[in-house]
Amino acid sequence: MTQGFGDTPPHRMSRRQFMKWCASGLAFVSLQKNFWAQPADAYGRADSAPARPRKKIRGAYDLVVAKGNDPYRQTVEAVAAMGGIGRFVAKNSVVVIKPNIGWDRTPEQACNTNPQVVAALIDICRQAGAKRVNIFDRTCNDSRRCYTNSGIERIAQKHGAQIFFPNDWNVLTARFPYESGMQGWPIYREALECDTFINVPVAKHHGLTKLTLSMKNLMGVCGGNRGMMHVDIGPKLVDLTDFIGPDLTVIDAYRVLVRHGPQGGSLEDVEEPKTIIVGTDPVLADSYAAQLFGSRPEEIPYLKASRERKFGSVDITAAALHEITV
Amino acid sequence: MKKKWVAIRRGSQVFFFALFAGILWSTAYPLRGIIPPAAVFSIDPLLVFFTALSERVVLPGMAAAVCMVLSAVVLGRFFCGWVCPLGSCFDLWAAALRIRRDRLPPRLLNGLRRLKFAGLAVSALLAAAGVQSAWVADPLVIFGRFISLTVIPALTAALDAVLVGLMRYAGWGPLLLDLYRQWQRSFLGVHTVFFSNAAVIFAATAILCATVLAARRFWCRIVCPLGALYAAAAFSARLRRVVAGCTSCGRCARECRMGAIEPDMRYNKGECVLCMDCVYACAAQSTRFMFFGAPPRPVKKKPGKGISRRQFLLGCAALLAAGCRGRQNGRQTPAQRPEFLRPPGVQDERVFLNRCVRCGNCMSVCPTRGLQPLFFEAGLAGLWTPVLVPERGYCEFNCVQCGRVCPTGAIPRLDVADKQSRRIGTAVVNRQTCLAWHDKKECIVCEEHCPVPDKAIKVVWEIVNGVRVAQPVVDAARCIGCGICQTKCPVRPQRAIRVARR
Repeated sequence: MTQGFGDTPPHRMSRRQFMKWCASGLAFVSLQKNFWAQPADAYGRADSAPARPRKKIRGAYDLVVAKGNDPYRQTVEAVAAMGGIGRFVAKNSVVVIKPNIGWDRTPEQACNTNPQVVAALIDICRQAGAKRVNIFDRTCNDSRRCYTNSGIERIAQKHGAQIFFPNDWNVLTARFPYESGMQGWPIYREALECDTFINVPVAKHHGLTKLTLSMKNLMGVCGGNRGMMHVDIGPKLVDLTDFIGPDLTVIDAYRVLVRHGPQGGSLEDVEEPKTIIVGTDPVLADSYAAQLFGSRPEEIPYLKASRERKFGSVDITAAALHEITV
Repeated sequence: MKKKWVAIRRGSQVFFFALFAGILWSTAYPLRGIIPPAAVFSIDPLLVFFTALSERVVLPGMAAAVCMVLSAVVLGRFFCGWVCPLGSCFDLWAAALRIRRDRLPPRLLNGLRRLKFAGLAVSALLAAAGVQSAWVADPLVIFGRFISLTVIPALTAALDAVLVGLMRYAGWGPLLLDLYRQWQRSFLGVHTVFFSNAAVIFAATAILCATVLAARRFWCRIVCPLGALYAAAAFSARLRRVVAGCTSCGRCARECRMGAIEPDMRYNKGECVLCMDCVYACAAQSTRFMFFGAPPRPVKKKPGKGISRRQFLLGCAALLAAGCRGRQNGRQTPAQRPEFLRPPGVQDERVFLNRCVRCGNCMSVCPTRGLQPLFFEAGLAGLWTPVLVPERGYCEFNCVQCGRVCPTGAIPRLDVADKQSRRIGTAVVNRQTCLAWHDKKECIVCEEHCPVPDKAIKVVWEIVNGVRVAQPVVDAARCIGCGICQTKCPVRPQRAIRVARR
């Protein structure tokens, strides 16, 4: 490196030539037809998306309620009584199982969905031939801690599902055909780009909405400043449920938090109704679960709003209910 | 190999640089590294002894630190030349910039090198008086802060941006997404948030590295108090540099990055970092380092031009007095603004400032990135100390990691149940901006997130226009000040519930 500045070897390109090459290369690339247009299926572009197409699959009953001592078997039997998972999950389809993994709590504290229920759903979906089972939730506590301590991460990995942290750049914005407080809200792409959406909440107490049930659990597929969803939460959750349109709702009421929800923490607040509720109408399933807590639908903002909007049915007396004991 | 020992020394430098950086990278949830993250700093005798002395406690790393000093007694200042990652940074820069000579005259540099002993003495006296100042210039904490708070976040953010860019704009999504998500659980992490004042930390380290322009290893020769401590231990080192038929060509003296070789070709053991350059610079090829068989170093006692004994004693007394006074002052006024929230378990602000060595471990491990380094917001004494900033992240209820990685116990090592009862501060609702109180809207996000099992945020119901509105009220007796309510409060730009110390 003792070479002086003046004597450039003749074979080297001169600076001017180099810059010409660069400029013409850039010009060539930028004049290409597709350079400025983004690829159609680029991940994470905040495209707006319409609601998930509704398949309107009916089960053998409106609601199946399974009681027993084994949440795994209760779930399997209840779905079987609904007519089998084959009605809902096609071969080579992509399934989303959306449990509640919101809190850094253990399964005993009943703040997150029971991992056994999730395990049962993964197993029957895979038996039905699902190509891929996605599991995710936007957590309230640190996502790594929630995934680990809820036990759901381990179960998902063991039973062959894909569990991941949703990414805020990988969203679609909701496009409603009607006036909605959720208009333009970012929704994680996987929640919309799936063949079957199974909503698996845990039933528990909640300060604002009195109870967290399946409709409230859908907040976990939303990005953005989620705290703002609490303003007018009833109508917003109805719109969100309408938008996502879960094909199957499995409410885990095996262990429930009856006070100090949704965070809980104390085992004194946990009760064990040992019940799994399966339904195709989220409103009906929630109304049944509410009744387990001794609550009427009109006390719960999103069920009240559902009734006013005639979205789903809150009338459990009119529903075809099937109870099994496992 | 031509320069075998230089190659081995460089290998050692690369190894320890990678080791330290690797340990710092593993300082993250779920702390599954083999080597505990505190180890980087608890082998450092300067930090460990001076913190222990100033707080009159025994610290867990002391045995290792004693071993480090003993190794210097046997081997000399090998730590500086073979291990210290900051020293390796200087060597790397000097090599990259092809600096082979010092710009400043050797006489000036040799005159200035006493300064580091003065600094060490001041630090020791302050520690004896009860004030820990070892953090100010310790090379390991400077390196640790630099890596943990600037390099690692920047690298992960860059990697994240590249991967996300490939997925979003280059159509690599189907290929990369699952891999990306797997990496998020390991080295990529889920947060790529920058630390506050990271630019200052980066600039400070950059300036340090720029001192190689004045002289290679300028810092190690003139400032470094850890170097001074090892130099003091190395004066009687067993491993010695021996020159057989010296021709007095002076090449070794010019080559020496530490200026350890005197014009008369003798050498100063306290300055030699055993870089092994002189072995290969020797024209006569007669320079060796050996443990035994070396002639004893000729004792040279120059009449010192330094300070007199009387001045020295007076200086010591003055420093001790100043230190004691500083400690007294600290005890009377933990002069802190109430919004500076300390990590969980910290009780006494003065003790905390004294124990904290500003290594950045707690901030790097905090899963919510709530712990952030202070600049001069709390004065010089608070420089680079961690504070919880709930606007950025809260204290995770079940997490005790910051106490686990603290090398000096400034943040106590608590079990989860104990930590959950320690108060960081107390939340206060601002009823002027709160959605529920001011706008009469449904919200209660703060109450929802409150992790205290019987809820430190209570709800009062008010009926407005026939609609029941839930409004939050803080139960100050139960609130532990974890700050999750503030982090999650949807009100912007300033949250409507804020945590402050009482």
